[in-house]
Amino acid sequence: MKPASLWLRAGIFTVATLMVALLGTWLLFGRGPLPIQTDLLAMLPATEQDPLAETAVERLAHANGDRLVLLVTNADDDRAKSAARALGEALESDDVFSSVLAELPPFDLQQFVAPYLAHRFSLLSDVDRSALMQPDFDPAQVLARHLNEPFATAMGTSLQDDPFGWLQHWMDQQPWSRSALLPEDNLLTAHRDDRTYVMVTATLDGSSYDDSVQRRALATLDRVERSITHDYPGTTVLRTGALFYAAAARAGAEHDVHLVGWVSSIGIALLLLWAFRSPGPLLLAFLSTLVGVIAATTITLLIFGKIYLLTLVFGAALLGEAVDYSIQYLTARANAGEHWQPRAGLCQVRMALLLALGTSLLGYALLGMVPFPALRQMACFAMSGMLAACVSVFWLLPALLQRPSKPLSPTLVRGALAMQNTIARFGNGSHGWGIALLLLLIAVPGWWQLRHDDDVHLLIAPPPALDAQELQIRTITGLGNGSQFYLVQGDSIEQTLQREEALEQRLQSLMRDGKLRGWIGLAGMVPSQQRQAADHALLAPLMSDRARMRKLLGDASFRSSAIDAYIAAWPGTTIDLQQWLATPISAPFRHLWMGRNAHGYATLVLPQGQDDVIPLHAAAMGLAGVQLVDKPASVSNLFGRYRGYASVWLLAALLLIAPVFGWRYGIRNAPRVLVPPVFGIGLTLAVLGYLGHPLTLFHWMAFMLVLGVGANYAVFLLEGEPHVVHRPGAMYASVLLSAVTALLSFGLLALSSMPALRDFGLTLLLGIGCTALLVPASLPVHGATTR
Amino acid sequence: MNFLLCCALSYGASFAVHATNADPLLLKNVLTGLSNHTAVRAGFTQTRSNPALMQPQISHGTLLFVLAHGMLWQTEQPYQETIALTGSRAARLDAQGKLQPIRDARGVSQVSQMLQSLLAGKPDDVLRQFDVQTSGTMTKWMLHFTPKQSRIAHVLASIDLNGNAFLEGIRIDMHDGSATDIRFTDARDAGAITAAEKSALGLP
Repeated sequence: MKPASLWLRAGIFTVATLMVALLGTWLLFGRGPLPIQTDLLAMLPATEQDPLAETAVERLAHANGDRLVLLVTNADDDRAKSAARALGEALESDDVFSSVLAELPPFDLQQFVAPYLAHRFSLLSDVDRSALMQPDFDPAQVLARHLNEPFATAMGTSLQDDPFGWLQHWMDQQPWSRSALLPEDNLLTAHRDDRTYVMVTATLDGSSYDDSVQRRALATLDRVERSITHDYPGTTVLRTGALFYAAAARAGAEHDVHLVGWVSSIGIALLLLWAFRSPGPLLLAFLSTLVGVIAATTITLLIFGKIYLLTLVFGAALLGEAVDYSIQYLTARANAGEHWQPRAGLCQVRMALLLALGTSLLGYALLGMVPFPALRQMACFAMSGMLAACVSVFWLLPALLQRPSKPLSPTLVRGALAMQNTIARFGNGSHGWGIALLLLLIAVPGWWQLRHDDDVHLLIAPPPALDAQELQIRTITGLGNGSQFYLVQGDSIEQTLQREEALEQRLQSLMRDGKLRGWIGLAGMVPSQQRQAADHALLAPLMSDRARMRKLLGDASFRSSAIDAYIAAWPGTTIDLQQWLATPISAPFRHLWMGRNAHGYATLVLPQGQDDVIPLHAAAMGLAGVQLVDKPASVSNLFGRYRGYASVWLLAALLLIAPVFGWRYGIRNAPRVLVPPVFGIGLTLAVLGYLGHPLTLFHWMAFMLVLGVGANYAVFLLEGEPHVVHRPGAMYASVLLSAVTALLSFGLLALSSMPALRDFGLTLLLGIGCTALLVPASLPVHGATTR
Repeated sequence: MNFLLCCALSYGASFAVHATNADPLLLKNVLTGLSNHTAVRAGFTQTRSNPALMQPQISHGTLLFVLAHGMLWQTEQPYQETIALTGSRAARLDAQGKLQPIRDARGVSQVSQMLQSLLAGKPDDVLRQFDVQTSGTMTKWMLHFTPKQSRIAHVLASIDLNGNAFLEGIRIDMHDGSATDIRFTDARDAGAITAAEKSALGLP
């Protein structure tokens, strides 16, 4: 290959890279808001077999997605209320909020009752229903008791409309009557532990996940909060909403990217500068990495549309692996000295680079087979990045590296040689077996202590302060937790409601046993026609016998006009779901009705005050069309299942690589090449066991990379060693360089704010560290050079 | 009255701010006086009038009030029934002496809760919801509560309490013309509380 053809290739490669970069820039900045996904739920895999359940999860998450709930609290009642009003007014004046609700619009208690009067003979509370079913039901006594209730002040129905109090009792059961927050001074207020809590809700004019909306809303909130805590001393504001979680996730990821990106870049730069003793190689190594990052970003955006925060942080760490290819080529040049020929150098490293790329791609491809959107994206990002970085070594670097360079830093080479000789000496013959056995003995107790953890918080770990505020708000306002709910399905509206009623019967008994505080479901507000007909039938013997009813009410000294009006109201009408959904009273509950789908109808029931899923599961057991959707548990299950698979995959990957090495290095030597990564993985497992670090899916994913990267090192060493006979230790020095760059970037992930990446980072740190140290043991005995 | 009000303002009674047109000192003394009785027994007569009724409904019975725990409302006429009102809960004592929760009785519990906080000498909760006017002396006082919250004021006109060392009567007036009037007789410190009463009120 002539120099001209080297330049031609480099030129083509540069043009292609620029085009990819242009496309990437457009994908990133040319299409409105930054395509960075801060909605952490989007990273979760689809876990539900029933696609409707997935839709329901999304609907619940997003019903409140663009809404913020703020709770203003102060020990002084007036201050709390004034602060809440001030907060409401201040937020209202900012157009980042489309609506703010602090002061309630005026309304009348009667407004709640009037729509139900026509249906009063079809709606019975559970207690009244069971009382009416008793054979010894005595309407005269019920009437007397209602009329003589202690202190009774009918805030709802009037005696004339509801002499027995049946409708009133039914209304008392409704969620708006049970709300923990009561209107006080036109504010939704709760009193707890001598403090006043006032709720203010705000809806964003835009998405919680939109970067600019996030920043503007948070800035306004912070400013307003500062001013009201200053104006009304002793005030605190509790906040919850998707906005805060998204912003916290973004801030955490940005922090991680900066930490990992900058620290590893600077570390790698200093290391390369010292090793190659000139800035040129450093720039070229970064150029090759940059090509990888550009390609990875563009291809990921092309395939996925948006980049997850997890990928962003992981991508920053990937720099350390992508730089390996160029390091190998650069060390080949450094070792060749004056005899350097770019083409010959390329031939020399070709096999090593291709084998290394192959094992890495294999490792990441296995990662991408896991059906988690986040892991798939990480795999896609890594594979395209590695491929591009490797191709840049073949196509771009030779043209730029035509002149020979200084040899590697002698200190590095001497140190590497000393290490290599020591390790190789111990790693061979009977010594080797002895040490292997010793390591095994040390590792076994560690393996014994290994435990595992599949919690969903591995992927989603919001700051504890946010979680604490949300919990406090949930406790005070009585809002449900939203992560566990029932999905009730039926062929018709009627069947759906009937099935919900069957479920609610079970929930009722949970409540009686104190295992549940309550629930919100539509059937409680709009019973099935069957239930309404049954309630109506219970009242029929009483109501249709007009003479008897007249006497009953007359004996209780009701005026005849009142009696006439009540009797004339019988039989009334039933309440209908579709009509009810159109009334304003249903507005806060409409999202529970999933409406019609291909298979029928569906509705949601939200249990409240129970975070333990076992009793909730039990309540749905055996009920047709009812399932408990528990997204966190489903994700944890999936984590657990794939953690199980991952260990098998690791073995499978080993079995895939073994024949490749057998073909290249001979059957006898292949196991020796595999020893460093296998021991690296085994020792890392032992250390994790000793540290009491529970194993997660992400540890296993990292082990696949340890296998891939660790095998690379063995390959680099074995492939390179014959070319540097004149410079003993130089090849291991290049392997150490690769390892240290990988440790610098992946190791920093161990400091990440995301637990998944932390596990990943720690595993890679330990695994790659051990493997790099053990690599000289893979050299054949005669290959261990002596000074 | 004016003189007393000025004294009270400088006295700095904590409810002065809330109690418009009131004699805070009297209110404070009345409530302190009431809270001195940790458990009270009394007979009651409740008269309920309503525009839908030709004659008022009258019931008689006895009451046991235990500070910070609640009350047992024992109707003897026109029927026999014992209701335990504790905190926000209402339960009926059945023939076997077991408590059967009555529905989420917010209407009942609101007034009973208000009474419980007043009698416990903790008027803050009440004063958030009501304006209060006081009149009379410690031996014969009258507290007149009107709701502050427009939603409630729409329905409830006023609540009047009167008494001496003990509460003597409660009158609740609604805007629809209905009223509940409760008179207490023979109010006295409760003395020994029976095991059955203790269990009904959830006392140790």
